[in-house]
Formats: sequence, structure tokens, C-alpha cells
Amino acid sequence: MVQWYAETLVRYVLVAAAIVGVMLLTYRGLRRAGVRREPATGFALILPWFLGFLIWNLFPVVASLYLSLTDYNILQAPNFVGLANYQQLAEDERFWASLRLTMAYSAITVPLGLLLSLLAAVLLNQGVRGVGLWRTLYYLPAILPPFVTALLWRLMLLPTRSGLVNSATEPVWSLFGDTPPRWFLDPDTVLWGFVIMSFWGVFGANTVIMLAGLKNIPKDLYEAAEVDGAGLLSKFRHITVPQLTPTLFYVLILGIIAGIQIFDQGLFVRVPRENFLNVYLYQQGFNFFHMGYASAIAWVMFVIILVLTLAVFRSSTAWVYYEGEVKR
Amino acid sequence: MTAPSIPAEAERRVLRSSPNRPRRSLAKVPIYLFLSFGAVFALVPFIWMVSTALKTPGQLFKFPPEWIPNPVAWGNFAEAWTALPFGAMVLNSVFVTTLAMVGELASAALVGYGFARFQFRFRNALFLLMLSSMMLPWVVTLIPGFLIWKQFGLINTFDPLTVGALFAWGPFYVFLLRQFFMGVSRDIEEAAIVDGANALQVLWYVMLPLVRPVLLAVAVLSFQGNWNNFKGALIYLQEPLTRFTLPLGLQFFQASISNEAPRWHLMMAMSLLMVIPVVILFFLAQRQFIEGIQLGGVKG
Repeated sequence: MVQWYAETLVRYVLVAAAIVGVMLLTYRGLRRAGVRREPATGFALILPWFLGFLIWNLFPVVASLYLSLTDYNILQAPNFVGLANYQQLAEDERFWASLRLTMAYSAITVPLGLLLSLLAAVLLNQGVRGVGLWRTLYYLPAILPPFVTALLWRLMLLPTRSGLVNSATEPVWSLFGDTPPRWFLDPDTVLWGFVIMSFWGVFGANTVIMLAGLKNIPKDLYEAAEVDGAGLLSKFRHITVPQLTPTLFYVLILGIIAGIQIFDQGLFVRVPRENFLNVYLYQQGFNFFHMGYASAIAWVMFVIILVLTLAVFRSSTAWVYYEGEVKR
Repeated sequence: MTAPSIPAEAERRVLRSSPNRPRRSLAKVPIYLFLSFGAVFALVPFIWMVSTALKTPGQLFKFPPEWIPNPVAWGNFAEAWTALPFGAMVLNSVFVTTLAMVGELASAALVGYGFARFQFRFRNALFLLMLSSMMLPWVVTLIPGFLIWKQFGLINTFDPLTVGALFAWGPFYVFLLRQFFMGVSRDIEEAAIVDGANALQVLWYVMLPLVRPVLLAVAVLSFQGNWNNFKGALIYLQEPLTRFTLPLGLQFFQASISNEAPRWHLMMAMSLLMVIPVVILFFLAQRQFIEGIQLGGVKG
């Protein structure tokens, strides 16, 4: 074991030294080429990221686009097949089912999470006592890693009377002449299990972000409105919401990106039928070694995220309010 | 934001003491009710986790549910510890987290400083490129990234989980540090430059001490992120079990050993053991934690 550490440590130090070396060489080279001191230093400083970008982002993106057009099982060289993987995807029932689950999950959790954490943040901002304590309590679930959250909620949502949720809510269900849902064991309720789980995990973090956004709204605005006789609702509509839009925008974008890419939770919950898209991708790539097919799925996901975030960015000019002169 | 002028401050005091103030305290009852409901929702699963970790298999599914197990099965922690080579996994996790954290912090500080303080051609374009790379789904780079490490023969080593951090793989941290470097007054820096310090010396002796709170926030987030790095371990670590990190060990336990008949008491005990460092860190550095996640939203 010590040997594993030593080997990695040596390579780590070597790579670090190499990066510093390249930075110094770049600086010297630029200076010699007649570049002034400031731009040369700046470019040398961002070099670790720039190298990383070339090696770990740019090259892999291009490579994965190419791989998505091939049949590749790691052992033999990739075999170019054109759009065959994408055609196969179009007919792959399991792919569509995973995609549907993933999209439904995001479509529910992102807006609902946004609204409820906004509500909680607004309430916390009403001058309640012990804001710090409330904030800590709310944030607590967010410090658990997503996979522990998944394991915990699998336990909470066990079917029949085994799970805490069902044993607590059984009277309510029987009131309607129903039996409690079987959550992760029933294909029809899997989605709701994941929704509750995600909600518990990110609710507090979003609340904390929004509370910070609320605290940033200049008090004078409210006071001016009060002088003008504005009520609670109109203050909320005309001051709170517009002033908070940059924060809402941030939480929305992050929520979409994270929601569609959900993975860890899917691997810690055994579900009867389809799982999330990324889990399907992982199985195709690393269990069956269909690396080309998995790359095609990755590109579908990339396009979906790109389209959605671009749409939100485009729409943002219409609804996100920036105080023009404040920044930079 | 401009500092409030003195008349505005006086006006505010008048408003605060206005007679319609007390009316609002009664209106707060529903607020407290709603907030308490949220707090119960947040806390109950935690308590259930601890309670389950301390139960014997026979007590797990009692109805009505038992909150304080009787007897308390403290032995679960020992059993969980020996069910897997936990000691090795803890060491691995510590090793991976330390290296990745140091690499992330050092490279993010360099790059953030470069973007914050130096004019060069394409700077803004490159910065935008960095920000937009955050939108790149990890699965797109997953397979070629895996193939690169495979080329070097470094699959099933800790390298993919640590060495990559040296390349500022967390653009978010770079972004945060840049924002705060930009907030530091240039005069302080200039004094050091006049004294003959180079960029690295200015960064180390002047800038970093000034942005220490953010640095701490980034460190805390980075610790959490790397300690909980499940995806990386899943892709790159294969065998034997003593090479796993904690998240992968937990996954192995739930998917293999405890799959057919889940041993919930052990899984919860293991989960607790694994989250304890982060929970302790959270209570020690709560401000940094909460500031860390707020920063993006406010500064963004």
C-alpha cells in the first residue's frame, strides 16, 4: 500500500514540477519574443488551467464525438460506423425510458425546488429569531454526499411498514382506502422516490444561496415602497423578485445542469426498470464496453444540456435584472 | 453598492420605530410553523440514520418504529469496520483527498490571480471559455479521459483522482478566487512590486493572506468534494478492495455483500463513519461552508 502511495506521489510531484517548468519557460519565451512583462506573466499564470483545458476538455470532446461514430470495445481499434450508434439509440427502448425518467426528474425537481427554497428563504428573511440556527438546520442535509442521501432515503422509503415514511403515513393512505406506495420497488413510483430524495438534499443549499441574495437587496428599496404604501405582495412582486433574479438565474442554471446529470444516487438505488440516463451510459460503457455507443449517449446529453442552458441564457435578458453600474 | 448616507440612516431609524411595527410579530406564527415543518423534514432522516446505525437486525423494521434502540448496538460500528478493509479505505481517502485538495487550491490560486490582475490578449475570451467548460457534462469527457489514463497504464492507481487536480480542474474555485483577488486594492500590490517582488511573491505574501477567508471556503468545499468523490473512484479503481476509497467501499458493500438481504444497520453505521469528518468540518467551519456556496450566487 505504501508503495501505491509513493508511486502516485512521485508522479504527482513530477507533474507539478513539469507544470511550473512550462509556466517559467512560457514566461521566458514570451519575454524573449518581445512581449511585455504584464501579459507574459498573466498568460504564464493561467497556463495550468489552459493545459488542463487542452488535455482534459478539448481533446476529449473531439475524441468522444469521433468515438460516438465508431464501434469500440477498448480491445480492438475503433471501427468507424457513421451514424449507426445514433440510429440504434433512436430505436433503443431502454435509452428512451432512461431519458424520460431523467427529464421528468429534472422537470419536477428544478422548478419545485426553486419555488420552495425561495419561499423558505423569504420567510427566513422576515426577521425571524435565530436565523443562523435555522440556516444551519436547513443546510445540514446538503453536507451528506449524494450517495449517502440515496442510501438513507432508500431506507426511509422501504415498502410496506418497513420504511419510516410508510409506517408514519399509513393511516393517511388507508384513509383513502389505499395502501402506501412501494416507492423504489414499483416502476411507477420510482420517480417520486428520487424527487423526495433530491429535494431533501438540495433544498437547504438553495435556501442558503437565496437567503444571501435576499440579504443583498438594499433595504432602502423596501422602505421607499413602504412609504408609498406598498403591501407585502406588491413589495414581493416589484422588489424582491426582480432584485433576486440574478440569484434565481444562477440556481436555475446549476439546477438544470446537475439535475440532468444525476448519477451517484442512481447507482445506490436498485430500481425495477429504467434508471437515469447517465447510469445507462455507465453500464453501456463500463459494464458492456460499448464505448462508442456510450459516447453517443454522452453527446445526446451534451446537446440537451446545451440547448436548455442556451434557452435559459437567451430568455434571461427578458427576466434577469442586473443593476448595470454595480459590477466591474 | 454605495454606503448609506447619514440622512438615510436616520430615516430608517424613524421607520423602525414606527407604530405599525409590533403588529408583525403575531403574523410571524405561521412563518415559524412553516419553518419548523421544514426543519423537521431536514432533521428526521438524520436521526433515523443514527438510530438505524445503532439497531440490531431484529429491531430494524419494528412497528411502530423505535427511535431509541433498546439495547443500543454499539457493536455495529466495529462490525461495519471489519466487514470491509475499512482502515485501508480511510487511508486511501485521506491520501487522495489531501493531494487533490492541495493541487486544486494551488492551481486555482495561480490561475485566478492570472485572470484577475493581468491584462493579456484573449484574456476575457479565455475566461469565458473556462466558465462555459463548467457546462460540459462529465460523461462527455469520461471515456476519452479514461483512455488517456489507460494509455499511461495508470488505471487502478490513485493518479486519475489526484494528478488532474494540478490542472485547476475546478473552474468554479478559480472563478471564486478571481472575484476576490479583483476586490483587493491595487495599491497594496503595487507597494510590493515597487519593493521588487515578482508575481509569485506578490501572490504568496500579499494576495493570499488578504483573501484567506475565501481560500478557506474553497478549501472546505474542495475537501468535501474530494472526500465524496464517488464517480472517479468507480471509474478508475478496480481491485483489490484495499485500493478502494470510502465511497467506493460503501457502494461495493451495498451492491455486493449486502445486496440480496440489505444489512441496513451496517450500511448506516458505515455511512456515519464516512460522513463524520465532513460533519465535524461543517461545525468547525460553518461560516466558510455556507459562505462558500453563497458566494457563487451573490458574486455571479
